[in-house]
Amino acid sequence: MEFQAIVDRLRALNAPGIVEVDEPRAPDKETKDKGRSGRPFVMIEPASLVDILHLCRDDERLQMEVLIDITASDPAVDDANLWILVELLSVKHRHRLALKALLPKANPVLPSATAIYRAAQWHERECAEMYGVTFEGHPDPRNILLPDDWVGHPMRKDYEFPTEYHGISCE
Amino acid sequence: MTDLKQQHTPSIQPSSEEERILPSGEREFFFDVSTSDLEINMGPQHPATHGVMRVLLRTDGELVTGAQPHLGYLHRCAEKIGENVEWLQYLPYTDRYDYLSAMNNNLGYSLAVESLMPELEIPRRATLIRTICAELNRIASALIAYGTYGLDIGAFTPFFYAFREREWIQALFEKICGARLTYSFIRIGGVFNDAPPGWLKEVGMFCDVFEEKWREYYDLLVENHLFVMRTKDIGIISEEMAYDFGLTGPMLRGSGVDFDLRRDMPYMDYKEIWDAGVYQIPLGRGEKGTTGDCWDRFYVRVQEMMESIKIVRYCLEVIEAGPVIGDVPKVIKVPPGEGYVGIENPRGELGHYVHSDGGKIAVRCRVRAPSFVNLAVLEDLMPGTLLADSVAIIGSTDIVVGETDR
Repeated sequence: MEFQAIVDRLRALNAPGIVEVDEPRAPDKETKDKGRSGRPFVMIEPASLVDILHLCRDDERLQMEVLIDITASDPAVDDANLWILVELLSVKHRHRLALKALLPKANPVLPSATAIYRAAQWHERECAEMYGVTFEGHPDPRNILLPDDWVGHPMRKDYEFPTEYHGISCE
Repeated sequence: MTDLKQQHTPSIQPSSEEERILPSGEREFFFDVSTSDLEINMGPQHPATHGVMRVLLRTDGELVTGAQPHLGYLHRCAEKIGENVEWLQYLPYTDRYDYLSAMNNNLGYSLAVESLMPELEIPRRATLIRTICAELNRIASALIAYGTYGLDIGAFTPFFYAFREREWIQALFEKICGARLTYSFIRIGGVFNDAPPGWLKEVGMFCDVFEEKWREYYDLLVENHLFVMRTKDIGIISEEMAYDFGLTGPMLRGSGVDFDLRRDMPYMDYKEIWDAGVYQIPLGRGEKGTTGDCWDRFYVRVQEMMESIKIVRYCLEVIEAGPVIGDVPKVIKVPPGEGYVGIENPRGELGHYVHSDGGKIAVRCRVRAPSFVNLAVLEDLMPGTLLADSVAIIGSTDIVVGETDR
């Protein structure tokens, strides 16, 4: 299915928490809009992420069996939100869907998707240590790439680089 | 799993003093034997983990009751670096996640950045040289997978045969870009330079020789009775399990799922090549044991080498003279936007999510590494197998630790 057909299907299924569809647009000189290239996203409410994933996996016409990626992005230091980015793939119907949710930095809590896709387990662990997102209901919320005693969330834009680690100077 | 463990837990604790006297009148001695599981660290420096990775194995005698991969020993902050250097400066870092298929990594990153630059046109000769290099690199990578899997199992000879042809591929890459392992050859907008005179002809010669040599690989290892006995019917990944863990690439096709990004979500000129009927998608069919076992995954990789040769041959036929890089400035400014491009790497789907605000530096450069995702399946695959099979199972996932840790 094409992107628009997927969105229509989601709307027809009354998928909860769809905010808007974020599509690429051409630059416009009159309004000084720089435009946006790339690919379309479905913007959703972070709280309804798990419900939408359930729908996407179980609906016959969407049938997205594979969770490709869950990650976050910190657009700017002064931005109040983190972006949660989810990438789904349907092997049977050969289509993809990208979801995006804005998660407030003040309280970055998200329900875990591990019950729907086991693949989410490691992605969420990485996302949690790098961005400080808490995944509620994650069965194994340890650090995955960083040491267990690492302080801070390195992929945040306001992260301050440590000057030493266990007595080893890194300056 | 709990059933298996209960069966294997010996109970030799005497209940009372009388039981210590046998019917013959002899006195039997009991020792206070601890029967708890033994935890073994496999790695970080273990030849079968293919790099610095540690698998914490819990064993009950010869039986593995649990496995927990511990990563991060090779973490080099690739994504953070991506947010701090210019678009083109990041390219050499892409070489270093999956260092066995650096051409494919360059390609994945370049395609992702190009997806944000709709006005940039890639010349056809550049696309074909990209395809040739990516497929040759896929063969080189599969040769390592073939050779080292043999080593894991205990077959030393195939490794040296595999390196013989890999050496030629590296020599070819050295001729076109000067590097043997970390190429940075496929650039944003095309490729770094044109093929030197006679290079394409030599690639054709390589294809001729490789087709003969492939038969040797097949005879040496694929049908080898000892090898088949060691790898069939273990580490079985069912179709549902493969979906659940998000496996891609040969790990998914080994379970009999007919999915290849080159055909099903074509990028570059793969659609044209597929329409020309050039290549097939090899699948695991359970020829030796069960569909989705270690042998199936291994054989998918071995067959893919020959498919890549066919693609290279097709490209050599249709390639014509022309420019090899599009109109790209020295300092690249990417228009604002965000995109994700996944390509079929030798180990699965390599995805790049790139986000630009219109400047010289990325806002976010996410790498979805196939080895990282494929490795997670070990936690479910290992329990219940024998310790001797654990090496065969880890080897069959064909991970590169540079990519799991990034």
